[in-house]
Amino acid sequence: MTKLLFSRNDVYRYLTVLLAVLVFLIFLALPFAMAVLWSLVDPSHPWAYPAVLPPVLSLRRWAEIWTTSALPQALYNSYALAACVSAVTLLLAVPTAYAFGRMEFTGKSTAQMMTLIPLIIPGFVSAIFFSALLIQLGVYSRFAGIVIGHTVSLLPYAIRLLTVSFTMVRQDLVDAARDLGASPLTVFRTAYLPVLKPGLLASLIIVFILSIEEFAISYIVGAPDFVTVPTILYSYLGYNFIRPNAAVVSLILVVPNVVLMLIAERLLKSADPAVVTGKG
Amino acid sequence: MALMANALAVERASLRYGKFQALKDVTFSASQGQLITLLGPSGCGKTTLLKAIAGFMPLDSGRIDIFGRDMQGVPPEKRDTAMCFQSYALFPHLSVADNIGFGLRQRRLSAAEIATRVSSVAEQVGLSLQLQKLPGQLSGGQQQRVALARAMAVRPGVMLFDEPLSNLDAKLRDHVRMEIRALQREHGFTAVYVTHDQSEALAMSDLVIVMRAGVIEQMGRPEEIYRHPVNRFVADFIGTANIMPVRILSRDQARGEYHVTCPLGQAVIRSATPPVGDHLYACWRPEDTVVATDSGNDNRFTFKVSARTFLGSLCDLSVSPTEDASVCYRIQTHGSTPVSEGQTVDVVIPPDTIRFLDEAIA
Amino acid sequence: MTINNALKAYLLLIPGLLPIVAFMSLVVGMAVSQSIGFFNFAGDDHFSLLFWQQMLTQDQFWRVFFYSARIAVVSAVLSVMLAYPVALWLRRPFPGSDLISAMIKAPILVHGLVAAFLFVNFISFQGFLNVALVHLGLIARPIRMQNDPYGIGVVVLQVWKNMPFAFLIIVGSVRAIGDDILDAARDLGAGRLARLRRVILPLTLRSLQASLILIFIGTAGDYSFQAVAGPININSMSQFMLRIQMDNAAHGWNEAAVVAVMLMVLSLFGSLAVAGLMQFAVRRAGR
Repeated sequence: MTKLLFSRNDVYRYLTVLLAVLVFLIFLALPFAMAVLWSLVDPSHPWAYPAVLPPVLSLRRWAEIWTTSALPQALYNSYALAACVSAVTLLLAVPTAYAFGRMEFTGKSTAQMMTLIPLIIPGFVSAIFFSALLIQLGVYSRFAGIVIGHTVSLLPYAIRLLTVSFTMVRQDLVDAARDLGASPLTVFRTAYLPVLKPGLLASLIIVFILSIEEFAISYIVGAPDFVTVPTILYSYLGYNFIRPNAAVVSLILVVPNVVLMLIAERLLKSADPAVVTGKG
Repeated sequence: MALMANALAVERASLRYGKFQALKDVTFSASQGQLITLLGPSGCGKTTLLKAIAGFMPLDSGRIDIFGRDMQGVPPEKRDTAMCFQSYALFPHLSVADNIGFGLRQRRLSAAEIATRVSSVAEQVGLSLQLQKLPGQLSGGQQQRVALARAMAVRPGVMLFDEPLSNLDAKLRDHVRMEIRALQREHGFTAVYVTHDQSEALAMSDLVIVMRAGVIEQMGRPEEIYRHPVNRFVADFIGTANIMPVRILSRDQARGEYHVTCPLGQAVIRSATPPVGDHLYACWRPEDTVVATDSGNDNRFTFKVSARTFLGSLCDLSVSPTEDASVCYRIQTHGSTPVSEGQTVDVVIPPDTIRFLDEAIA
Repeated sequence: MTINNALKAYLLLIPGLLPIVAFMSLVVGMAVSQSIGFFNFAGDDHFSLLFWQQMLTQDQFWRVFFYSARIAVVSAVLSVMLAYPVALWLRRPFPGSDLISAMIKAPILVHGLVAAFLFVNFISFQGFLNVALVHLGLIARPIRMQNDPYGIGVVVLQVWKNMPFAFLIIVGSVRAIGDDILDAARDLGAGRLARLRRVILPLTLRSLQASLILIFIGTAGDYSFQAVAGPININSMSQFMLRIQMDNAAHGWNEAAVVAVMLMVLSLFGSLAVAGLMQFAVRRAGR
């Protein structure tokens, strides 16, 4: 029996990989390419059936949306909210994650389950009745309302990610540092920080992204005049579908978040304790 | 072909992963009811060979016959083998009873028959009270028994053991080893047993196959392997051996006596088989040495003791010839022998306990 | 010492856990109380089952309820059914498998509304699909595929968005099955199908259930996919809830609260039912 250069298995594998790439192109790359194309349609030369490609391409649509719509305000709102939300969420999540990651106590698993509650309550239920609650309590600041709503609904993610980071801190390093007479600050700097840093940054980024992307609370609590990027996008979709505008806003919403998310993923991978401490 | 087919016959089996030659021209056979161990350091190809017999790894060339049937292209699920995995590989979601009965259900036995066989096998390995538990609730030793029972339950033509005892503690290991051997004798199944532990191999096998780098170095009964290792690798791997280069000064082929010069000085070696050349290796075992009591013995040497380890009934000594501290040998004496470090000791190595290895020095 | 330690742990839980528990119980409490007449924005607070009666006797409500339930079941089951074979396929790494995993996970990074836009853009009159079909000669002129009356568009979007989640959850558990376990099953005579039914499916049941539950809950409460790509003539539960709250001036909040409670009931029991059925199916397959 001799081995062929390519066995039949290799050929099948090659074909399936190719097929997967093709599926990916049709389901993701192509729609995005269409979106880019639509965002470049010149406002004075509409792209209509039966033209296969837009007649004139220009960046005028981008300029027009920037100057005439509420997009700059929405961007400001979204990013300001996200900054507040990620800071507050992280501050609240760290102590709890420490308890979950490094301490044993009765009711720990129940408590961990309870942190997941926001994930199982439908988003619009919490959004609508949170807004009812705000009315009852007489809170009229939309910004503050959304910050509270986002913080609570994103806490589960931050707690979960940071819990993993805290469990990866090696107790022997902590003990060794203390045994050598290190001050609490030094213990933190040598044993905790190197392991925690990627996790902290990653949760900061992820909460930031999720806050920018959150739609239900921003839409309900912010209605009618407090706009964020997703609510602006929503206004261009649905019943009054303005395709080139939606294309522009979609790209503005997706591209920075994808970049940030890839950074976060890289950080989480580097958080492997073997990499940090140089020991398997 | 012989009329009576062997239970297992491996012929010129070769297998490589990329550039790594895992098996090279491996040939051996086992008759019905034999227990064969594949012994060697990690990476020697013993587990690969076992997996090739089970059908998990197709050979590049050569063939494997089980009860006279060529196994080429037969998948593991269709082979008359059952394997006891090193990791036990119990199904964590199934009870002990369902684990043991897994193979029987695959063979479409009736529920009643499965139940009878499961309970009888479970009784043999002492698991009758654990049948309803999940593997996770058992101790390591019990899990090992489930793995054994599961493989035994299908009554395979050939049982394959992949270092089954390596995850047990020392005391349990001896016990389970004897049990496996007893079960194997009682049921008469043919078994191939992979281990890196030479004492395990010596204790339980009918035939030991010592492997290194994908090649069989030596194959034989345990006593044969121990008494007559063919080369330095086997001598060193099985038990403890003192290996030294020797140069033959004179031969008396008729009486089987050879005078040699070696790092100890001049020595006599008595050997039934003649050595391969004039300059070769020879070995002797620490336990064959005798502390000299009177004068006038052959092969009497004076050593300086550099370290002494008291082992209870025995005493392990590291020694060097008085005039050459660069070579070091190990000898064993009675625990009561009054020697201490730094002293000299006179030792006799009986001529018939020194053996030529089939390894000439270029 | 240990009591002290436990106390310290509980104190540390406060900042993270208290906001969640307080917020969620207030919000859910608000919904439940409003559905039975408390915290009224219009009129007096008093206990009343009137809103429940009004809502549960409406045909429209039940149409919406079962529509959401149907979309949720179909989306959850389809996502898992698509993700499972891919996860099995990618159990062991091979050249190109990392690329495929990355491509499968890509939709997670795409915002739901953006996905909805991309989809609508793709199937609209001027969309790629229509243009392609016309040029291939399969249809004479563009057809209307947007807001199809069966909710196919919504299901496509849900599966597109949720399949990666199902994949992530399932692939973890599939990869956790040791090679030895599968080899042992093979060695004992289990062929491909038997290994799937009796070893792989039971060992991945928990992850199948987890992904079904998560996708079911997410889909049952969907608003944006429905609003952008769903049928015009029927609402999803969230959409219906919001519409009632805005339209029915006087008791809008109370009736919306009834819908909210029913949506939570649907999420809870619907997802558990789907998970239970999955368990039943896997047990059956393992026989």
